[in-house]
Amino acid sequence: MHSCVLLCAILLPVAAALLLRFFKQNNGRAVHLYIGAATVLTSVLVWGLILRCPEDSFRLITFTDSLTLMLRFDALGRFFAGIVATLWPLTVVYAFEYMKEDARAKTFFTFFTLAYGVTLGICMAGNLFTMYCFYEFLTLTTVPLVMHLQTKAAIRAARTYFAVSLGGAAFAFASMIFLLANGADGSFALGGLLESYPYAKPYITKIFYCLGFFGFGVKAALFPMDGWLPKASVAPTPVTALLHAVAVVKSGAFAIFRLTYYCYGTELVKGTWAQNVVMAFAVFTILYGSSRALKDGHWKRRLAWSTVGNLSYILFGAAMMTKAGFAAGLLHMAFHAEIKMLAFFCAGAVLHQTGREYVRDLDGLGKYMPLSFACFTVAALALIGIPPLSGFVSKWYLLTAAADSENILAYVGAGILLVSALLTAIYMLTTVRRAWFPGKNTEASGLSGTREANLKMTVPMLLLALGILLTGVFSQPILQAIERIVGLR
Amino acid sequence: MIKTIMLCLILLPWAAGFLLPVLKLKNRRGKCALISAVLLLEAAGAVVMLLQKSAELTLFSMTKTLTVALRMDGVSKLFMAIAAFGFLLSGIYAFRYLGHSEREDSFFGFFLLSLGALMGMDLSSNLITMYLFFELITLLSMPLVLHDRTEESIRAALKYLFYSIAGAFLALLGIFFLARYTTTLDFVSGGSLNMGAVAGHEKLLLVVIFLAVVGFGAKAGMYPLHGWLPAAHPVAPAPASAVLSGIIAKAGVLAILRLVYFSVGADFVKGTWVQMAWLGLALLTVFMGSMMAYREKVFKKRLAYSSVSQISYVLVGLFFLTPEAAMGGLLHIAFHACIKICLFLVAGSFIVNCGKHRVDELAGYGKAMPKTLWSFTLASLALIGIPPASGFVSKWYLASGALNSGLSVYSWLAPVVLLVSALLTAGYLLPITIQGFFPGKNVTIPEKNNEGGILMWLPIIVLSAAAVLLGILSGCFTDAFSALANSMFG
Repeated sequence: MHSCVLLCAILLPVAAALLLRFFKQNNGRAVHLYIGAATVLTSVLVWGLILRCPEDSFRLITFTDSLTLMLRFDALGRFFAGIVATLWPLTVVYAFEYMKEDARAKTFFTFFTLAYGVTLGICMAGNLFTMYCFYEFLTLTTVPLVMHLQTKAAIRAARTYFAVSLGGAAFAFASMIFLLANGADGSFALGGLLESYPYAKPYITKIFYCLGFFGFGVKAALFPMDGWLPKASVAPTPVTALLHAVAVVKSGAFAIFRLTYYCYGTELVKGTWAQNVVMAFAVFTILYGSSRALKDGHWKRRLAWSTVGNLSYILFGAAMMTKAGFAAGLLHMAFHAEIKMLAFFCAGAVLHQTGREYVRDLDGLGKYMPLSFACFTVAALALIGIPPLSGFVSKWYLLTAAADSENILAYVGAGILLVSALLTAIYMLTTVRRAWFPGKNTEASGLSGTREANLKMTVPMLLLALGILLTGVFSQPILQAIERIVGLR
Repeated sequence: MIKTIMLCLILLPWAAGFLLPVLKLKNRRGKCALISAVLLLEAAGAVVMLLQKSAELTLFSMTKTLTVALRMDGVSKLFMAIAAFGFLLSGIYAFRYLGHSEREDSFFGFFLLSLGALMGMDLSSNLITMYLFFELITLLSMPLVLHDRTEESIRAALKYLFYSIAGAFLALLGIFFLARYTTTLDFVSGGSLNMGAVAGHEKLLLVVIFLAVVGFGAKAGMYPLHGWLPAAHPVAPAPASAVLSGIIAKAGVLAILRLVYFSVGADFVKGTWVQMAWLGLALLTVFMGSMMAYREKVFKKRLAYSSVSQISYVLVGLFFLTPEAAMGGLLHIAFHACIKICLFLVAGSFIVNCGKHRVDELAGYGKAMPKTLWSFTLASLALIGIPPASGFVSKWYLASGALNSGLSVYSWLAPVVLLVSALLTAGYLLPITIQGFFPGKNVTIPEKNNEGGILMWLPIIVLSAAAVLLGILSGCFTDAFSALANSMFG
């Protein structure tokens, strides 16, 4: 019974998206009501499942004994699903306003809602094969969203995204085949599946682990496969906010958690060159992403580079291969989601109201759009890690985990993390400074008549800002939930 | 009751500071009355707190380890009293100083917000809370620096912001490791190191503590992260420069004091390379700051360099890790605040009333602005350390603490550096007085003016009188300071 409900949660948005083509209008009230209802319904269903569903596995299709499509809603999946299900309705409301004048809004909402179902599939996948399938679907459903504007840049970005994602998935595929060939074909289990199947030589196992890490790392924009993400910031803001700061990129991180802690297990890799390699790449990406963000004057692209850096905070946590590192990575996964979404929403609101894309054009805008920039300030402070906002909490646990890990590379990583935090302060606060405190004669021209974005945009922003404060101040329950997931209590 | 007052000390200026730019009061008198009421209440609250023994209040717990809580002890009392009175006098002075400035609301707004954050920092009971307020002070006082919105001030403000944040992150690295090696993040006099956990990791811990103090030292203008201070303090309006130099920069001192004495404990660092390195950096800053001040011709910049030097006097006292030297440092915190605020307000008076920014333009102003220049002279004498003015007392304890410290080289090097720096201080301050009163023959004597009215000259006179009287009456409170210094050693 419960297993059918699981399937329903995935199929509901998919069906809703497919039925959208029978609507006569391209945009407008009816479409919005319909999509909004479908999204909210799915989210309610998912939250119900998170709170109620037992942890049974459920076989959908059995291809061979080792290849099965299997759904299982375990604690880690619930965590990710919780993030997605909370943030999706907010983004849809925002998108209604943002896409108001778009001629192809129907196509947009079709693929957007499809992506919801597919992301839920990733959360609920019970084994590596199932997760891999949904992972590929996610690429397919989001490519049209990236090239929605159909400008040259958008099409080029979509092409890059498509090629890189498929290429990365091929690596991940090789890793998966290795696991299956070594008998690790059961459903995900905390601690790994390989311990009882020591067929392969250890160094081959490590090679395949790295392959998988980098393969899934493509979606998490791990250096050197990071370029697609900033390019993809040409997509409409709801897409950049939700998919390229949360759903898609965090699916990459999520898959790496699954691979590391639920398939290979940390015992085999910890303390070896394989751990050093993946951690070194994560640490380097942190620095690289933040530095590129500093250099980029295009507001949304800057935020996208910042995402590149922050995703590697999560991967850094994963690569520590300790329970504390795992927990800290998950914490940052949740908190970065809300923070970066808010930042993108603000950038989108300004883009929507004024058409300004570059940071240098923001001088003095704070006076005209106070709410948006107040929200952006909150997001900036949280991303830098000022207590008591949520970003501080995740950074605290990430760094104490690094200090606890007794791994020299992790100490270096901790230092790099703080350098990156400084870079974050620089690229976020210079933006904030321009908006609130313009120079004497440099106030941008043509601002008069600029108005604050409308309620459909500001309400999601305010809710997120409130969320950042509250999840920071009261982070104990979230931390407890995470500690239960990773087995710390 | 006492807990409510403690919370109000933070929330009242925040509420007022937030409302000022929102309300946009038309009536300037009403606005000034409101601001002075808030500042007076703060001062009254600080006095009430001074009379209390101690108080604690837990605000909220983010997670089990991360708690935001307030606690008042002897150190907080000292810093709180200085902040409340310094802001009160500077605030009153600012009413007139900013009389013709646009964006007045924004100035007073951030002025009060900074005060609230400072109070929070003074009352913090653990490292997390202190870090929170440390960052808030930076963010909220940065707008004071760029008040003029000129290119120069914006650049200086950003420099201030990024140096401070970089320092804070360096310190945060230390806090992460301390979280691992201490029994609690709360401040405990004498430190709370968990020696069992430390065993075998002493070297690592020493490195991170060293870095943490260098990081917090950014705010106190300590070499090598001092570069922002001479850029940022002078570009702010004079009342803001006064509190930035006299009080806000001391937040760095407080942070170092809390970290070294209340979290790590003086015993752990005593005699290690870390202590030597700190002393070396602080003494270098003392000398370098004075030297730069001596060469600088712009009045407020000269005072800013002087702050770099003087705040490191305090740090020298703290880094000797003996009660006597620490007591000298604590005394110098109070005296320097009083003196430096006075000097900056004097510099501001010359800018507003005469339009003079440079020290070599002040010849002959003794006749035109006698009250201002006399106050300047008294405060200068106190800063140089002429007995019986206040600076002498603190320097006496600093020097004798250094001599009795038992550290081989530093026990004589420190007094020598302090002496040389005192000579330089005389060299950069007294010529202003001499030229002001004895301009020579070929100088046209400027006409007498009203010195900005009572709102400007009264705070200056009060502060300069305090600078002298605190020295003469120091017998009344040296015992209290001595007890305070001893209490920091657990």
